[in-house]
Amino acid sequence: MTLSFSEFGLLQVAPLIPLLPLIAAAVIGVFGTRVLKSASHWVAIVGVGGALVCSAVLFHAVRQLSPEQYTAIYRLYSWISPLPGVWFDVNFRIDPLTGVMLLTVCGVALLVTIYSRDYMREHGHPERGYERYFAFIALFVFSMCTLVLAGNFLLLFLGWELVGLCSYLLIGFYYGKPAAAAAAKKAFIVNRIGDFGFSLGVLAIYYWVSPFVQPGQSALDYTVVFANVSNLTQGQCTTIALLLFAGAVGKSAQIPLYVWLPDAMEGPSPVSALIHAATMVTAGVYMVVRCGAIFVASPLAMSVVAAIGAVTALFAATIALAQYDMKRILAYSTISQLGYMFLGVGALAADSAVFHLFTHAFFKALLFLGAGSVMHAMGGIIDVRRFSGLRRILPWTCATFVIGALALAGFPFFSGFFSKDEIIHAAFERHALFGVLAMVTALLTAFYTFRMVFLAFWGEQRVPEGVHAHESGPWMLVPLVLLAVGAIGAGYVGVSLHAGGFAGFIEPHGVFHEFLAPVTAPFHAAVSSSVHSEVAPTAEHAGGHTLMYVSAVISIVGIAFAWWMYARRRGVAARVAENWPEVHSLIHNKYYIDEFNDVTVVQPLWRTGLAAFGADRIAVDGMLALITAVPRGLGGLFRTLQDGMMQSYGVTMTASLLLIVLIVLLVG
Amino acid sequence: MSIVNAYILVGAILFAIGLVGFLSRRNLILMFLSTEIMFQGVILNLVGFGIRHLDLKGQTFALFLIVIAAVEAGLALGLVVLLFRRQGTLDAEDWQRMKG
Repeated sequence: MTLSFSEFGLLQVAPLIPLLPLIAAAVIGVFGTRVLKSASHWVAIVGVGGALVCSAVLFHAVRQLSPEQYTAIYRLYSWISPLPGVWFDVNFRIDPLTGVMLLTVCGVALLVTIYSRDYMREHGHPERGYERYFAFIALFVFSMCTLVLAGNFLLLFLGWELVGLCSYLLIGFYYGKPAAAAAAKKAFIVNRIGDFGFSLGVLAIYYWVSPFVQPGQSALDYTVVFANVSNLTQGQCTTIALLLFAGAVGKSAQIPLYVWLPDAMEGPSPVSALIHAATMVTAGVYMVVRCGAIFVASPLAMSVVAAIGAVTALFAATIALAQYDMKRILAYSTISQLGYMFLGVGALAADSAVFHLFTHAFFKALLFLGAGSVMHAMGGIIDVRRFSGLRRILPWTCATFVIGALALAGFPFFSGFFSKDEIIHAAFERHALFGVLAMVTALLTAFYTFRMVFLAFWGEQRVPEGVHAHESGPWMLVPLVLLAVGAIGAGYVGVSLHAGGFAGFIEPHGVFHEFLAPVTAPFHAAVSSSVHSEVAPTAEHAGGHTLMYVSAVISIVGIAFAWWMYARRRGVAARVAENWPEVHSLIHNKYYIDEFNDVTVVQPLWRTGLAAFGADRIAVDGMLALITAVPRGLGGLFRTLQDGMMQSYGVTMTASLLLIVLIVLLVG
Repeated sequence: MSIVNAYILVGAILFAIGLVGFLSRRNLILMFLSTEIMFQGVILNLVGFGIRHLDLKGQTFALFLIVIAAVEAGLALGLVVLLFRRQGTLDAEDWQRMKG
């Protein structure tokens, strides 16, 4: 409900959350290269830290709201009013989902900013573009906060595009490197394909919702749109949901638009941690949960979401099995985990999906920052074939990395375990096939995660030649340790402790889910009305802890298998690759999807472009040449009169004058 | 033939002589002198027509024109001297390459 200004109380900090990072970005942008130089990180830290403090205050304020007021709309100003009676506001929607997302985004962003202070230096000297980097990071935090806070689809779209821009700028941070420039372009173009669908979705909403809008309402406001979903037909809801989901598929790197994310690892590691693991790529999941009212109105759209999520989760996990670049393994793992989140949303367990988003932000950011720490120590080398046995050289990095890996692998009592288990549970309730896919993915996840851990940190101690390996400094280690604490502890906000559950004291679902309940209400309503859960609508998770034992066993089996294959008997993996060379090369080359896309999409478009270019050259340019030939020819005709002889000019003048006089005499 | 028509006739003859001189000579100084003769013809015409119409404006204007012609003569001679210094000749054909 909309509150008047005085009723907002602490909610009035909301505009500060995007504003502070924006100011920081502007200050670094203006003064960075001349004044701030190697102190630029302080401005970013203050800006992002301020946003985090404001987010915490806002979170507190949201908790104070009474349940029926859980959603507050904060109207900042009128943005666009093209016609009388038609306008779009800059307004913020403040509810539990916003609170959780803001805390996650600003928290991870602050740690990443602190980490970057050392990461973006070589031997203590700032890298080239140090100021630019922090300006972009602050700009990204602004964009992401705008996206999350937006109270209407237009502002959401603005944030959506801005994060895409920041992602492009930061992937291409080392723009002198051709691979980085190409990766940035790829990310931007692939995202554009999804965003085209997204913008069509927003237009469709405007077109179909407008007739039902009361005077004084804006047709793109969330509240107005969600209240009018019942006025739309099933087909309209499906169209809107699928178009919006196209945007989510691009932004959150799902099949078939996932190809940009692995390449995005060309950017600096902290960028991968912040944008391509913890925050921006989860925007798609956030958007689908936010638009739950539209999505649940279309069972077809929900099935598509769940199916794409499940297939992507498994598909990306298999690719991760045979990669050697640590950051790429993590990138495919991110795609896979995002698939889990969509599977959760599609299986009507939106709260579990957001819970997984929340825990994933911690452990995946931790893993990326850990990989960055390894990369920093190895002089920019990240290929696990080039080093091993790093656990003695990098004890802190190794310890925190293993914690992150345990959380990702779903090891019992780590955060990833709880959230992933809930999604698997929900998947089974939706359809057994989804459940099996999720289970297999969980096994593969545990395996590939620990394959990477054992390859990098166990075995004989070996570093690339000429590299003086050393543990990172406190600027990098403190964020790692804090994130490791989060990777262990974040799961406990989403479970309730009471006797008789898993391991005797844990039961799935906790305060986190209760807190989110007002936002995920459409999903719960859909669950209680669907046939599947007629058996036990209220006790849907009563049997949850049986499944928890199964997931725990799966995770431990995966880890043990990785240990046997990559730590105990190192030769096994090589023999497997030798015995099935086709399989290995198929997976190692990512199923040749990039090549497939090149042949089926890129090359035809390229040739069309060339043809259009040729047509332009011949038809358009030819016509222009024809038109310009007329004055040119006429000019050539008269140019001969100007021969540079003053006498001939004089003759011309005299003759013309005589002619004029003659005409005047004859006519006049 | 009245005196008035004589003014106009002499003016016309002067103009014609100047015109023929301008068109037939290649020497820059002679061409310049020819234009001056045309000028004098025009001035004489102004005076003549002024008297014919019993209007003093023609003669007043002629006075102004004589002053301006003096100034213009100085300027033009200066230019001719400059052109001569640059090329070492007064032949107008040598400046034919100035055409557009």
